[in-house]
Amino acid sequence: MGSFELICPAGNPAALRAAVDAGADAVYLGFRDETNARNFPGLNFSRPELAEAIAYAHARSVQVFVAINTYPQAGNLAPWQRAVDDAARLKADAVILADLGLLAYAAEHHPDLRLHLSVQASAANAEAIRLYRDAFGVRRVVLPRVLTVPEIARLNAEVDVETEVFVFGGLCPMAEGRCSLSSYATGLSPNKQGVCSPASHVRYEPRGDALASRLGGFTINVFGAGEPAGYPTLCKGRFVPGGGTSADPAYLFEEPTSLNALALLPELKAAKVCALKIEGRQRGKAYIAAVVGAYRRALDAFERGLPVPALDLEAMVEGGAQTTGAYTRAWR
Amino acid sequence: MRDPGFMVQDQAQEMAPDTRARDVEVQLTRAGLGLARRLGDGAGGLLFDRLLRILEARHPRAFTALGELPDARLLIDPVDAPAALLLRVGPTLALRVCDRTAEAEATVRGPCARLLDLLEGRIDGDALFFRRELSIEGDTALILALRNTLDGEEMDLFGDVAAAAGPLRHALPVARRNAGRALDLLAAARRFAPPPVRWGMAVLERRLIGPRQGA
Repeated sequence: MGSFELICPAGNPAALRAAVDAGADAVYLGFRDETNARNFPGLNFSRPELAEAIAYAHARSVQVFVAINTYPQAGNLAPWQRAVDDAARLKADAVILADLGLLAYAAEHHPDLRLHLSVQASAANAEAIRLYRDAFGVRRVVLPRVLTVPEIARLNAEVDVETEVFVFGGLCPMAEGRCSLSSYATGLSPNKQGVCSPASHVRYEPRGDALASRLGGFTINVFGAGEPAGYPTLCKGRFVPGGGTSADPAYLFEEPTSLNALALLPELKAAKVCALKIEGRQRGKAYIAAVVGAYRRALDAFERGLPVPALDLEAMVEGGAQTTGAYTRAWR
Repeated sequence: MRDPGFMVQDQAQEMAPDTRARDVEVQLTRAGLGLARRLGDGAGGLLFDRLLRILEARHPRAFTALGELPDARLLIDPVDAPAALLLRVGPTLALRVCDRTAEAEATVRGPCARLLDLLEGRIDGDALFFRRELSIEGDTALILALRNTLDGEEMDLFGDVAAAAGPLRHALPVARRNAGRALDLLAAARRFAPPPVRWGMAVLERRLIGPRQGA
């Protein structure tokens, strides 16, 4: 098995250049519409920008993967099919898809286009992965962030499909319908319109030295004076169970914490993981340069058998805290 | 470009000259805001119109995107500067100096140096927000659109302005390299100057820059 591939995010052309220059092996990105799961204002790529991005990346032997990983709505397939067609036409190295119908469309219309299964598809067992391989020729699966490393190792022993895992950034498990919390609060869907906690429905309110975050009219967290803040997502909100008033609000689903699996490189290698993915297409190019550069140095050291340098990325991450997440504990 | 907040020690040493240059740029920005406030909307407005035209010529893609936003006002408040800025986005793009209590659809507040870093993509906005160095109020979508649009540019505020000023563009890199030495010289001059001159310099500085918050 060769070296890990380092898969890095890009929310705009400048971020793509930052990722490429900092040592990415591949960059993933999306079109500027609802066809990808990071459909935020001012973000993503037009078709001409994608063409320029691919030219820039390919000239430096870096691959470009196009995420088209939301779910098309009944009677409105055209934007998603056009996104697949355009990614193929512009010579993207792979498309990252989640929807069965779209996988079928891509396999039928673009047989030479490499298909990766998005984390959004939540394929977490060998039978599901074999089905995607056999039915559509999927070459790589991005595993959901709910598996332990031993579970990933067992999975990889059972399938002959490449697997990619997230190693840094947001801990967004699509499992258990959590994305529906955002849909409920805002009326807009992370999985259909690509907007988790859409900014148009987010408000921040100073309350003395504290900071309240509100989503769709619900107060979902209050950060005390000097306490690190987090994203305005319901799955990382702080609530009082049972609607009581006496208990202190607590994180019922997840805390505002970011994934950092750098310490698990040996285990992930032994588990035969092919590619390591950094999350954060919504982040600025300074984040991309810092995180990708740090991971590049760490991976280079690891591949040479040298001590892996510690990464000082704590201040970059949500809530100022990092975790190895489900990789080292059973998913709740 | 790395986030200055996350430099390891040896990198911090290497970056020292750049940091000193940024100190000078921050002081110039604060002085510029103080001056614009004194000039008022007439002459001050003309200066900001010129600044926008320079930036538009160098970053047409970003300005097209800002012009396509809904008509809205965004208050940019460098909390340690003498005045704030009101950016009007949409079809009639405009920038004006204003009071920090001015009405706007969205507000961004933070230290002047951090806002400059953010404008130039030297730092990640989310990281600043997590650390509570940046606060936002009002229309979050508007702020996000502005942040993402600017982050997509390779912006260098002083470099862009210098480039538009012809011969200055050759002087700027030299000035940036020597910023630390110039600041040291200024500090030494201030230390050794007789008291009346020192007081005069302090008064001039206050008139240009305005009182620092918390000072």
